[in-house]
Amino acid sequence: MTTVVTDNCLKCKFTECVSSCPVSAFRAGEEMLFIDPDVCIDCGACISKCPVKAIFEDLDLPEDMTHWVDTNATESKKWPKISAKMPPMDGANDRKVALGF
Amino acid sequence: MGSEIKIFKGGCPQDCPDTCAMVFSVQDGVLTSVTGNPEHPITRGGLCVKLKDFAKHHYNPDRILYPQRRVGPKGSGQYERISWEEALKEISGKWNSIIDDYGSQAILNCCYLGNQGVINGLTSGDAFFNRLGATVSEKTFCASGSSTGYVMTIGPTGGVDPESFVYSKLIVIWGQNTMSTNLHQWPIYQEARAKGAKIVVIDPQRTRTAKEADIHIRLRPGTDAAFALGVMNVLITENLVDQDYIDKYTHGYEELKGRVLSDYGVERVSEITGLTVEEIQSFARLYATIQPCVIRMGVAPERNRNGGQSIRAICSLPALVGAWRHVGGGLLEMPLWEFPLKYEEMSRPDFIKPGTRVANITQLGKVLEEFQDPPIKSLFVNNSNPVSQAGHSSKLESHLKKDDLFLVVSEHFITDTAKYADILLPAAMQAEQLEVMLAWGHFYLTYNEKAIEPPGECVSNSELFRRLAKAMGFTDSYWDRSDYEMLNDFIDWSSPRLEGWNMEKLREVGYVSLAGATPDKRLPHAEGNFPTPTGKCEFLTTQADKGNFVVPVWRSMYEDMQPGEPIDPLPEWLPMRESPQSNPELAKKYPLNIVTPKAHAFLNSQYANERNQRHRQGEQTVTIHPKDAEARGIQSGEVVRVFNDRGSFQGKAVISDDTLPGLVVSILGYWHEHNNGSAVNSISSNEFSNLGHAPSFSDNLVQVELVV
Repeated sequence: MTTVVTDNCLKCKFTECVSSCPVSAFRAGEEMLFIDPDVCIDCGACISKCPVKAIFEDLDLPEDMTHWVDTNATESKKWPKISAKMPPMDGANDRKVALGF
Repeated sequence: MGSEIKIFKGGCPQDCPDTCAMVFSVQDGVLTSVTGNPEHPITRGGLCVKLKDFAKHHYNPDRILYPQRRVGPKGSGQYERISWEEALKEISGKWNSIIDDYGSQAILNCCYLGNQGVINGLTSGDAFFNRLGATVSEKTFCASGSSTGYVMTIGPTGGVDPESFVYSKLIVIWGQNTMSTNLHQWPIYQEARAKGAKIVVIDPQRTRTAKEADIHIRLRPGTDAAFALGVMNVLITENLVDQDYIDKYTHGYEELKGRVLSDYGVERVSEITGLTVEEIQSFARLYATIQPCVIRMGVAPERNRNGGQSIRAICSLPALVGAWRHVGGGLLEMPLWEFPLKYEEMSRPDFIKPGTRVANITQLGKVLEEFQDPPIKSLFVNNSNPVSQAGHSSKLESHLKKDDLFLVVSEHFITDTAKYADILLPAAMQAEQLEVMLAWGHFYLTYNEKAIEPPGECVSNSELFRRLAKAMGFTDSYWDRSDYEMLNDFIDWSSPRLEGWNMEKLREVGYVSLAGATPDKRLPHAEGNFPTPTGKCEFLTTQADKGNFVVPVWRSMYEDMQPGEPIDPLPEWLPMRESPQSNPELAKKYPLNIVTPKAHAFLNSQYANERNQRHRQGEQTVTIHPKDAEARGIQSGEVVRVFNDRGSFQGKAVISDDTLPGLVVSILGYWHEHNNGSAVNSISSNEFSNLGHAPSFSDNLVQVELVV
């Protein structure tokens, strides 16, 4: 079981998700967030909070996105914990529009 | 589609401390989503992994939708649909004939907390079975040992408000995996931590919660009381106690001190617990000097032979250091003790005929095997799945298979217990019924609206017992009321805690706090005021004269026929019934202890029939220490068999030092059909803990071998 952040987060980092996480499982990568699968409890509280629908439970992950499971597992170990909302990256709102949200 | 989405207020039905306030969304009469209420101070908008697909769960195609009669052999799962009228006629006919031949005590109810509501929960069948004259069932699956030990020490107090933990500076989580089984408390701990609090976890296993703690104390299972008494020894010998608090607000300190100093020196406690002397000393010093300090006591310490006295020892600690003086200091077990509910009116113990016997349903297999004069000829199961949850389940199954036991089960699904039923009755789920949810992990009473119609012919437990009462010819007004009227009658609106509240206001607002003070003000025992006979924290209990007892709420409010076994009036440690140290003969055959914690993605056995939940939980595993695995030639991922004389189950080996040498860990809740035909309680005994008839699920020896 795991819940993962995928490429819609890239260059956005809206971080709406992090304050909904009861166990502080998010990690702040340079250009996107990751979820540490060893900490995530799979409650799903973050999924609906993401304005660009970047978060998926593995059960719902489209087939061409399954590599994000491994990416979250490895990248999450490299970056610091984030549990308070931060300002999004520059251009995040434009990217949101470009993504169709 | 396209019609308006209607929103209803929900309350999570599960036997969990968090009792979340839910939001039911309904479109065209269909429950489309269930989410956490963002306004609720505990729920804070999120549910948990267990309830993630709760809306879909209501539409699971395996639901029992109609009454059914068994047509194949017992356990074959072959049923035919019958009408409610036929079902009620068959049940009442059979019961009347059993009553004629054997007397009404040949009938027994097995009900627990499959739903935690006021009218559909633990006590939902009490009035009916008391009126019927059935054997009274003692329902002690969880927290009864804690209840007795707690009440004997500090009385039925709600303790520290879980929301007051934000003011704590030392939070001691004793025997609980908070992140899996009390999730909504965790952010409160993090808030305290951000203000400088330390978190200590006391648990044999390195759980996901223990991994996040500042200090993890890994004692051997069943040694909690010894550890607590050893901590007391340090507090007393190093003069770290709050003598003023002890003098004013406690009873029996000199007696406790005598025992602690003579029997629980740190060297001995180190040997018993497997902890170092330094670990015991440094915890005691932290506990005495960091204030406010608070203990969140889980249920796990009660699950061994000495469980009740473990609770007594733990509950004694806060008074010794004066922790109760501070907001956010003391101990939390169950706020439920302060809920203004009229249990006597719910359970109607006045219906019970004097001298009626009692059967403990955690020992259901033993009861069916041993009870005579009369034997149990009919069992009625609702809100529970004893084949999964009771001790020595293989024995229980062998009795459920017998043709001379008339078994009626009201259920959502054909569970490991329901598959043996002669008659199946279809039970409603939470969005399909009106309820008010009580809570044992916080102070809120929560309203649950009926959001959708039950499918097929499913009925709430309240309606089930109305129908049974009518079928049995009971004319008492108890069963003439609507659900709303029953709820209104069972809540004590005259309580000061509910001043200005009534049912209508509760329906409008959705929840009400019963804490009596805001979290920054609640100080239940700063000046004693313990609801015990002496009004003090009773290290030396004044309630031992009549011997062991089960708190009446766990036994239909019946006060007679209490167990009465002798009780040591002071906290003590006794070795486990089954451990290599205490039972070397048995350990020659079965050298490993086992603990069987609650699952992360299931609630006991509920939701374990959902494929997605099994994916989230993963398959049954057996976590074994590298040393024990090596000695048995077991490699990670291999299938192993866990067994003793009582039974066996299988699981995939996980080799990890997250468990201690000599201790294996396997999760509770898997259904037999998904788990090679068995599960963890096949190996557990049905012996009691020493107080409150709690089961001793963590007091079992097993062997583990490779399946070849």
